[in-house]
Amino acid sequence: MLAVIVSGLAIGAVYAATALAYNVMYSTSKVLSVTTGHLCMLGGVFGAWFIAGLGLPAGLGLLGAVLVGAAFGGITEVVGVRRVLARSDEHLWLLSTLALATMLQQAVGLWWGTEPKPFPRLIPQDFSAGLLDQKYWLPILTVLAMTAGLEAFYRLTLWGKLFQATSEDAFAARARGIPTDRVRSASYLLAGALGGLAGFAAGQLTFAFFALGLTLTLNGFIALAVGGLGSNLGALVGGAGLGLLSAFATYWFGGEYQQTIAVGLLMLVLLVRPEGLLGARRVRPV
Amino acid sequence: MAARAPRLGLALLVALALASLPYWSGDLYRLHLVSLIGAYWVLVAGLNLVVGFTGQLSIGHVGLLAVGAYGFAILAGTLGLPPLLALPLCGVLGGAAGLLLGLPSLRLPGFYFAMATMAFALIVTELSLAWGGLTGGGTGLSVPGFPAPFDTPSGQYWLILAVAAAVTALTWNVARLMWGRALVAVRDSEVAAASVGVNVFRVKLTVFVFSGVTAGLGGALFAALQTYITPDTFVFDIGLFFFVCIIIGGRGTILGPLIGTAALTALPELVAPLARLGTFFYGLALLVVVLLVPEGIGRLVAVLVARVSGEPHRSHEVRPDLARLRQALAPPDGTAADAAPAAPAPLAAQALR
Repeated sequence: MLAVIVSGLAIGAVYAATALAYNVMYSTSKVLSVTTGHLCMLGGVFGAWFIAGLGLPAGLGLLGAVLVGAAFGGITEVVGVRRVLARSDEHLWLLSTLALATMLQQAVGLWWGTEPKPFPRLIPQDFSAGLLDQKYWLPILTVLAMTAGLEAFYRLTLWGKLFQATSEDAFAARARGIPTDRVRSASYLLAGALGGLAGFAAGQLTFAFFALGLTLTLNGFIALAVGGLGSNLGALVGGAGLGLLSAFATYWFGGEYQQTIAVGLLMLVLLVRPEGLLGARRVRPV
Repeated sequence: MAARAPRLGLALLVALALASLPYWSGDLYRLHLVSLIGAYWVLVAGLNLVVGFTGQLSIGHVGLLAVGAYGFAILAGTLGLPPLLALPLCGVLGGAAGLLLGLPSLRLPGFYFAMATMAFALIVTELSLAWGGLTGGGTGLSVPGFPAPFDTPSGQYWLILAVAAAVTALTWNVARLMWGRALVAVRDSEVAAASVGVNVFRVKLTVFVFSGVTAGLGGALFAALQTYITPDTFVFDIGLFFFVCIIIGGRGTILGPLIGTAALTALPELVAPLARLGTFFYGLALLVVVLLVPEGIGRLVAVLVARVSGEPHRSHEVRPDLARLRQALAPPDGTAADAAPAAPAPLAAQALR
């Protein structure tokens, strides 16, 4: 039973990290990017390539994975979001980020191969550690540190305050002289870096797998919608809840019904509390 | 009236060419390709009403295609029903699945809805693996063909052509008449549509269930064409492909998505390097269209045709009939206007300008 809880929390941490990346991008641009899960996938695949393929030390591998994630976050903003937001047609961003996500997934699949490949050990540890294995606690610790770091960044630094001002009212922020376009670009770089970090930390759990991105995009979004759009704490709660639920579903019913149960949870929460557990209630414009 | 005659002639010519295709297409592979386009089009035609007209971005219609395909394989194969009876039953099955998916998800806003349909596609794949007794699990099911007049490649093609023509006629009627106007109104502004008396949710649900019916029919035809189906046949990429066909063809038209479906199905088959890239090519096409011509290729072609045919861009300048307005504004007894005809008239004209 403990094994189910630990593995559920670990995979939940990955979902929560994806939800955090969603939040960072959503707050400044009001765009839910389909590429979010692919940022984590990049962290895992490139981390494995840097360390196992090129033989770099783990620290450099981490740096490389974070940089690749940030770079793709930046590409998402420049190619998929900036021009589309300028045109202000509703939901065009969904199409452009979907196209980018598809292209990235196929490109990685062609280059890396479509089989999941193992992720190298990061810290010397015996494989007999069982539940204390690094593949479980590494993602959990990482996502906790990410949440704490994000909150500290938003609350304590000037740049964080710029992010918050842009997120609350972009027009008012621009009127006060905040370069909202640059803040948006920075938020996509930050989200990419966070996604790359999370994918790197969870690499041993998820393996370096090209199709991971789509699953994470969906499950991270479910965690986000359950926890409440825009709330970082909600992302943690939603991610942990979803991870535990899928772990127990696998334990009781077998692995075949994971997605069905995850979507069932989403529908249930959206029916009872459309704004999510910790989300702010939105006023519908009429 | 003069413009209609060549159009009618062209339509007749195209219909004749399509109907006689098995006699001039040359090899069986090309015929198979056109049949595949037809089966896809049965689904895309229904989906076009959802995506192109109502603006609901469903990326998971491959789930409904799978429901139709498995339904046909089970009804006609395992249960041994006559295939021509199983075909409409698959439409019913697809419609029921569409209702099941649409009831909760159509209440959600854009991105939520897209994610819900994507999840549906993944769930169908999951269930087709899990219910091994019914669907054959990972090994899949073999699908029976259609009986006597439709058992040859050309017979199958004519059956698909007939169903596709019927579905096209249905969607064309929907799009052209009051329903289509309601759909476009919902796409452009739900609030405005509701305020003029369109029952937004019911309109969306009806159209979505209709697209489920066509997806079920398309799935059955697709399965019969493939002769063997596994869960791997219905990867998420196909759902994306349908969606891309519509966006590329242009939203709010019927001809555009038809051209899009035909081009995107045929191009990777005819141009070898594109086949290797596969889904990457669809993603690239989607990105280029979204960034450069968001209205779709169909709109681009229309603009080019208008430019080539030299039809001048007509401007609609509003010119009020000042004399009549002045007369209407004049006092009813007519004395004031008659007494001082010079002074107030330019004033009134200026005020009206």
